[in-house]
Amino acid sequence: MKTATLNKSDIGKCIDLLLQSDLRVIAPRLIPRLDEDGTDSIDVLTFTEVDSGDDHQVGEGLLPLNGVKEFLFAKHEPLFAYEKRGKKIEIIPVHHEYPQTVIIGVRPCDAASIASLESVFSDANAGFEDPFFTERRSRTTFVTYSCTAPDASCFCTSVNLAPDSAKGSDLHLTELGDGRLHVEVLTEAGEAVANKLETLLEGEGDQAAREKAGATVHEKLTRLRNSAPIMDWLMDTANFDDEMWERLGEKCIGCGACTFVCPTCHCFDIVDENKGSKGYRIKFWDSCQFDHFTLHASGHNPRDWQFKRYRNRFNCKFKIYPEKFETPGCVGCGRCIRACPVNLDITEYMAEVAHKAANPNAMKADPDFE
Amino acid sequence: MTITKVINEAPGIKTFHLNFQDEEVAKNFSFETGQFGEYSAFGAGESTFCIASSPTRPDHIECCFRETGKNTAALANLTEGDTIGFRGPYGNTFPIDDWKGKNLIFIGGGIALPPLRSVIWNCLDLREQDGRFEHISIVYGAKSVADLVYKREIEEWNQMDNVTMVKTVDPGGETEDWDGHVGFVPHVLENDVKPDPENTIAIVCGPPIMIKFTFEALERLGFSQDQMVTTMENRMKCGIGKCGRCNIGSTYVCIDGPVFTATELAALPNDF
Repeated sequence: MKTATLNKSDIGKCIDLLLQSDLRVIAPRLIPRLDEDGTDSIDVLTFTEVDSGDDHQVGEGLLPLNGVKEFLFAKHEPLFAYEKRGKKIEIIPVHHEYPQTVIIGVRPCDAASIASLESVFSDANAGFEDPFFTERRSRTTFVTYSCTAPDASCFCTSVNLAPDSAKGSDLHLTELGDGRLHVEVLTEAGEAVANKLETLLEGEGDQAAREKAGATVHEKLTRLRNSAPIMDWLMDTANFDDEMWERLGEKCIGCGACTFVCPTCHCFDIVDENKGSKGYRIKFWDSCQFDHFTLHASGHNPRDWQFKRYRNRFNCKFKIYPEKFETPGCVGCGRCIRACPVNLDITEYMAEVAHKAANPNAMKADPDFE
Repeated sequence: MTITKVINEAPGIKTFHLNFQDEEVAKNFSFETGQFGEYSAFGAGESTFCIASSPTRPDHIECCFRETGKNTAALANLTEGDTIGFRGPYGNTFPIDDWKGKNLIFIGGGIALPPLRSVIWNCLDLREQDGRFEHISIVYGAKSVADLVYKREIEEWNQMDNVTMVKTVDPGGETEDWDGHVGFVPHVLENDVKPDPENTIAIVCGPPIMIKFTFEALERLGFSQDQMVTTMENRMKCGIGKCGRCNIGSTYVCIDGPVFTATELAALPNDF
């Protein structure tokens, strides 16, 4: 593996070099958003397209609000257009732009989620490909950045990841503590980017210092360290009817915020947007937390209570993804915890399941859990 | 596809005969019984219905639907010659090759006859060709006499010497000249039809509650779970395993189903 060092202060120059190569560059930036009263604005760290190396927050702050999902799996996009002509319908293809893109400043949790989305949308899943996703994926390079200051909601180490993990990365950057970054070139796409930055990269990296920097941050993350029993417990179908689901899930109000900020949530809806005799068939993000998501035409709803919808989400993360797609369903970014309006914390479920898995009869014997 | 025929089956329920507009597509299209498609009235969306016709009768495909939401209402407004969108076929199929030499009993409720009708005609036509199935029975019920779909075909099956046709309506749904049973399908099945489980496969389709009670009745009659087959009707959007809507645990009804044996269903979490 090729390594090098880069001055952190040169990241803006890196962005300019990439822009000069006609690449679309996406980086974390501070974007003003209106506050709740609509009177004042607050700056929110958000992944957005940049047009100059002067305006970026790569390596600053923690996680952008949005993650990188929307740049591969669009929030909404037309599948095709149609026009009614008498009794006939003409299907009109919609032109989509898939620019060659570099996303820089991606945190390890977000980078690890790419493989998960790919396992759903690629043709490896039942032989059907989502070409919108795969076209974008094949034209996107991820320049990742090790975390230095995880917050209280972070739990990547609970899901077999690490704050300095390079999983899913093409080119990985780690702060060495002296103003320099250790650069790891991990893929051909990463090498293509490194070649464009040649004038800014120096010599070889400092592997020992990089390992040390990573380990220091790792120690700050003290939540549940062994999540392996969670999947084993979920695999036992009898536990699907455990009392825990209703007790912990009662709090959920079904707003769906967790699913929209989640880097691995992939559910979508398909609707027609029609005006007169023309329209588009549109695919857009949906959420398994909404009550009509699984509602049958007959009125029957398999997930008729909110706790059942939350149970599905938890199972999707820790059983369905690993079992069906063999990729992680949760990358420990903590966005669902930060976004939840009722402070529902997925790690509380994880801890309880891990506890139940380790003590199969403990909860049943405890009258407090009746 | 072009709607080549519209049949009013029951209040709010219609059958469409459909033919592809593109000859190449028509030539290359094939499906097996049990599979489904996404049908759309452009401007209103897409709905998931089974292909209600048999692959042994390939000059057109059929769907049968009840008007319940936006898209089905828009579909119901279309007439012969109009165009509808179709994607498919998707999903797995009824394992009819495994049923050779067996008796078959089809048990359906309400709007759930269309998926069974595809496999019923498929099995009747194949038996006509080479006698590969033994006795065929059909038990079908609806809320009321008016709600029965495929009324003419029920009569046609009734007239066949080598088919036992049992029809029933829910209590209160009968008319003065009703010559069928009165009672819920699982009850009529267990107390009046009493099928012999020996060398028999039961194919069940209906609302989830009807499937549950019918399976229980069949088990009391001595059927094993491997002898019971059903088709699930979970809500779907994409039909191709991506949109995350029809799953029961890690099983996606659109990809792994819609056809399941009772053995397979029993292994799934209680989420359907």
